[in-house]
Amino acid sequence: MRPIRKVLIANRGEIAIRVMRTCRELGIATVAVYSEADREALHVRTADEAYLVGPAASRDSYLRQDRILEAAKASGADAIHPGYGFLSENPDFVRACEAAGITFIGPPASAMEAMGEKTRARLHMIAAGVPVVPGTEDAIDSAEEARRVAESLGLPVMLKAAGGGGGKGMRKVERWEEFDAAWRGAKSEALNAFGNEAVYIEKFLEEPHHVEIQIFGDRHGKVVHLNERECSAQRRHQKVVEETPSPILTPEVRAAMGEVAVKAAKAVDYVGAGTVEFLVDKYRNFYFLEMNTRLQVEHPVTEWVTGLDLVAWQIRVAQGEPLGFDTVPPNGHAIELRIYAEDPAQNFMPCPGTIRYLRVPGGPSIRDDSGVFPGYTVPTVYDPMISKLSVWGPTRDEAIARALRALDEYVVKGITTNVAYLKAIVDHPVFRGGDYDTGFLARESESLLKGGNGEHEEIALIAAVVHAFEQDRALAQTLPKSSATQASPWKLAGRAAALRR
Amino acid sequence: MRYYATLPGKTEPTIVEIELVAEGRYALTIEGKRHEVDARTLPHGAVSLIADGRSYNVELEKVEDEVAVSVRGQTVRLDVANERRRRLRAAAAAFSAEGPQVVKAPMPGKVVKVLVAPGDTVQQGQGLIVVEAMKMENELKSPKDGVVSEVVASEGQAVESGAKLLVVE
Repeated sequence: MRPIRKVLIANRGEIAIRVMRTCRELGIATVAVYSEADREALHVRTADEAYLVGPAASRDSYLRQDRILEAAKASGADAIHPGYGFLSENPDFVRACEAAGITFIGPPASAMEAMGEKTRARLHMIAAGVPVVPGTEDAIDSAEEARRVAESLGLPVMLKAAGGGGGKGMRKVERWEEFDAAWRGAKSEALNAFGNEAVYIEKFLEEPHHVEIQIFGDRHGKVVHLNERECSAQRRHQKVVEETPSPILTPEVRAAMGEVAVKAAKAVDYVGAGTVEFLVDKYRNFYFLEMNTRLQVEHPVTEWVTGLDLVAWQIRVAQGEPLGFDTVPPNGHAIELRIYAEDPAQNFMPCPGTIRYLRVPGGPSIRDDSGVFPGYTVPTVYDPMISKLSVWGPTRDEAIARALRALDEYVVKGITTNVAYLKAIVDHPVFRGGDYDTGFLARESESLLKGGNGEHEEIALIAAVVHAFEQDRALAQTLPKSSATQASPWKLAGRAAALRR
Repeated sequence: MRYYATLPGKTEPTIVEIELVAEGRYALTIEGKRHEVDARTLPHGAVSLIADGRSYNVELEKVEDEVAVSVRGQTVRLDVANERRRRLRAAAAAFSAEGPQVVKAPMPGKVVKVLVAPGDTVQQGQGLIVVEAMKMENELKSPKDGVVSEVVASEGQAVESGAKLLVVE
């Protein structure tokens, strides 16, 4: 057992800060890496040391394995935490860390390789007796072959990129007329996102729920599961709201899925935190979708209902400690909301800009994981996620009430956010009812994007006029007495007003 | 003092008379109805309003020419103008349409498609140019009725945030 003394976090934004927080609590020194665009980012001044790794573009900075390893050597870091995204599922990076004598906080390269290429992962799972979504084992070469496979599966089908996930290179085909365009589109998007245009096909399940199981393994062969997360609230295959427990699982199905997830992880000798994703159909049949060999964005909800600090356990496991916990039933209910700098009314166009004012909710069982601060300029070159707001309640209804209350307290000025959209989701009868599939957000988008009902318009009017009145009063008090030789009060007032902006 | 506040969906502004009764107390007359409120304007655009014992936390934010006002989770965009601003606007309008409108790129991206040419007559809201950024396509619309006087951008061109794309007069 070799205690880790200093961790370099090869990431940025909220996840870098989240990892640094646990390191700090464990008495472990932290090293940040940053791009030129991130010099003023919060994660830089949260760490004990910081090293520049390149210009703004990720491929020139956060994806530069050589520069990150240089920073690790220069700082004397004995471990690297990759966060999520970036190099977190890159087996070459794992091997480079090993060669440099630096502990990679995550699974071994072999496990990443086994699960990283999606068609190979399916093969592994089939061999291990794990139920998978009906589809092809290999990537398909030609459009003709693809059509033949789709015919045998029956429409609708999903075309998916073999080289990676995250919703890229995915197309749903519901009608034969769409097939060729979808095939071409999926391949080109896959090539762009992963440098690999290989596409495979799966049957599209009706009203599927995306339910994933958190697993954890240590270096001594023990693997346990930490229950599920319901992640069906997705827009364009990107998760927006996550919760645990899943309102549609029974304890029996949870146990069965957990068992299968542990089997999947053991089949690849998994170490560390990982997530096995499943699709669950309306009959509660579950099928392996893919495995993510890293810590996930939505891990806080699991931390809420288990009381565990998953990053702390990632570090302990990396140090060679045995897993100090077993599967326990989830305690209470947790919901996470992803807050983005985007404008839902403008087709969710990203709205980077400067945060002029920020007030984050507080009170019982509220958690905000963010990388922003008042005055921070959200850069255009990275993902526009501002923060993850998660809440806990003893029951699902209480967690929902708490989420709504917290969202009401969230004030962000200077940029547009999706806070009102998130409120509409959590308050929606379908969400409240607990049975929503991956088509929910798209299907209900009109009602979710509808504005307010004008309930407090008169109050808004009164407040706006009072505010304007007070601004004009203050302005009038700053103007000097006019004289023939001085600038006109109109000009001065205009200048003063312009300066206030 | 008189203010003109245009509510969403209305073409004519609501006239509001406001008077300072005492420090922190205001009397407002809206469409003949008198309201007396206790209000404190706080830094960063917040107003604590107590009206008939009911307490409201109102958050205000200037968004271009309007102000976004949020009360109890509902946000409404208002245009609030004092007498002087209203008179200036009326004077500018008399010279017909606020002059040439420059259509700018809202963020760094790439011009995907130019939908109009110089000399084209366009209507307010008509699509002029499609810009792609952060993997999203955004169609920019004409801010007014008019004629396209200049097209600076070309298809395939990379643009910075705020870059001039075209002008509608």
